[in-house]
Amino acid sequence: MKYSVILAALGVLGAGSAVAQQPPIKIGVLYPLTGGGAVYGVPALAGHQLAIEELNAKGGIMGRKIESIERDDKLNPATASSTMKELITKDKVDIVLGGLASSVGLAMSEVSKQEKVVYISTVPKSIQITTDKLHKYVFRTSANTDQEGDTMAMLAGRNKLGKICHLELDYAYGNDLEVGILKAMPKYAPDAKIVLTLKPKLGATDFNPFIPQVMAAGCDGVLSGLWGPHFVSWVKQAAPLGFFNKIKWISGGEVGSHEIAGELKGEYPDNVISNTYELWYHGNDPSHAAFQAKLAKKLNTQETPQWAALGYIGVMYTAAAMEKAKSTEADKVAEALEGLSIGTPVGKLTIDAKTHQANIGQFWGPMVKKPDRAYRMMEPAEYIQPK
Amino acid sequence: MTLTMFTLNAFYGLALAMNMFIIASGLNLIFGVLRVINFAHGMFYMFGAYITFTVAKSWGAPFFVGVLAAAAALGVIAFAIERLLLRHLYDKEHLMQLLFTFALVLLMSDAAKMIWGTDQYSVGYPPGLGGAVNLGFVALPQYQLFLCAVGPLIAVAMWLLVDRTRWGRVVRAATQDREMLSALGVNVPMVYAAVFTIGSALAGVGGALAAPRIALVPGMDATVINECFIIVIIGGLGNLWGSFLGALAFGFVVQFGTVLAPNWQDVLPYLLMLVVLLIRPWGLLGRPETN
Repeated sequence: MKYSVILAALGVLGAGSAVAQQPPIKIGVLYPLTGGGAVYGVPALAGHQLAIEELNAKGGIMGRKIESIERDDKLNPATASSTMKELITKDKVDIVLGGLASSVGLAMSEVSKQEKVVYISTVPKSIQITTDKLHKYVFRTSANTDQEGDTMAMLAGRNKLGKICHLELDYAYGNDLEVGILKAMPKYAPDAKIVLTLKPKLGATDFNPFIPQVMAAGCDGVLSGLWGPHFVSWVKQAAPLGFFNKIKWISGGEVGSHEIAGELKGEYPDNVISNTYELWYHGNDPSHAAFQAKLAKKLNTQETPQWAALGYIGVMYTAAAMEKAKSTEADKVAEALEGLSIGTPVGKLTIDAKTHQANIGQFWGPMVKKPDRAYRMMEPAEYIQPK
Repeated sequence: MTLTMFTLNAFYGLALAMNMFIIASGLNLIFGVLRVINFAHGMFYMFGAYITFTVAKSWGAPFFVGVLAAAAALGVIAFAIERLLLRHLYDKEHLMQLLFTFALVLLMSDAAKMIWGTDQYSVGYPPGLGGAVNLGFVALPQYQLFLCAVGPLIAVAMWLLVDRTRWGRVVRAATQDREMLSALGVNVPMVYAAVFTIGSALAGVGGALAAPRIALVPGMDATVINECFIIVIIGGLGNLWGSFLGALAFGFVVQFGTVLAPNWQDVLPYLLMLVVLLIRPWGLLGRPETN
């Protein structure tokens, strides 16, 4: 009796000191932090950091503090591969998150497979990550190109487009999105015809070789995967010609985000229907307001960028999986992620046990002028979530 | 290709050529006189665009005030760089100069990140240049017409400055025999500083003039510097009209090539360079090195 009390006390003490001495959980993350991708990588990292700050304030994961090890992938698959290997072998991270470009996501997934370390793709959309190239350790918490293509085809049907011009960037994301759209077209817009497909290169700034071709093709609508700076440069070069007066522009690549609307302001063209993961001015879940307020405080602006939500969700999934697995071992964490549901600022999400894809949706809607604002807003913003 | 499409493509090729010439002419001038390969020239271009954004959009000044501010700011920055650092490297081997200008790229890209962050920016077209001119069978954007006029103006101004003024004679002499010129009582270091300043200010103007038609993002310097080198090399290193010709070749090959063979768009400029160098290794208007 006496002994057992002493032993129990020792056990408690031992456990207590073990907790205190336990090393932190290391989360490695790669986003483009310099060059063209930094426009999105930096806000995504801000969401990632916000989640870690929140978790650490509550005692971390399983009582262990979280250490965030952040690296620049430079939007380059080769850099991402070598940096991720270094994170795993030298920094001994427990899990790796991030990536932005689809090409980078595919490279990171390959390293994750070789090194047997869990990788959560928080932004890359290439469908291959969760189909052809799927393996035990890779998961995705962003949307994918099939899902985006499906919605774009649906919108083509809903807007009764007849003659369609199709624009994609010539790399993993653009090519996969094209496949996604073509797959879904017969279902939603059986009578629509794609009369022209053009593929400018990733990073293109001069679209003059393409704009006259689209204008001469006589399309009533464009399906576009030109994201961020590509869209902005296209708008600047095409708008003086009256390009957007007659053409409906249905676009993936989140050009409906406030980042683009707030920057282009009065130059944002008419007739654009696009998507975004999150909107600072409109939520679909009660927890959104609190998340947005914290982010606004961290970034010191009310008009917060949508990419932060993706970085945030990736960390929250990591924490939930490790808590569920009661371990940081890759095999156990991977098993825990399969079928795992968590609450996020954009509602409850579940990762499919087979495809490793979270059922995250996106807001879609027309970008309309507001009399009291300098920029356009998405209205109505419809949250479209895969079944 | 219909006549309308041909005219449009020819026009866009010309507009691209003139925009690139404005930037490349500065790089060419600096190489011609100082024999320094300035990798930071693309960074100067990016600063030009960002400064125009700050002056014309954030402060609300007219666009052309932004262009002048970009030229002035880049001139000041370049003058300081030349006087404080670069001038110590003229007698060193080329590798040192390359390393130095490459270090400038890294430093300036971090500086840009500190000043402007990583957001994407856009600058509006100046009033009266945001529309198109309708010629009946084809409509041409006003701003690109404007660029087509500015390019030759800059070319002629540079030609007059270098070939038709006393100062230009001094600059040309400096490329021939620096010591002799110095012995004749010319302040050669100040000539070098002036050339570097003017060349860099041209990069600033190039960035400022490009700003209304593209998205401003970090990393926008990277492609531009490659394309500038291609133009300067195919034109003949250090030759003003060579750069002009090189820019025209570049503009038309990229425009027509991308329309006709879109799968080749990435390699077109390099193919052009390869072909020119195979036929004339010293460039279109360059002279073979004799020494």
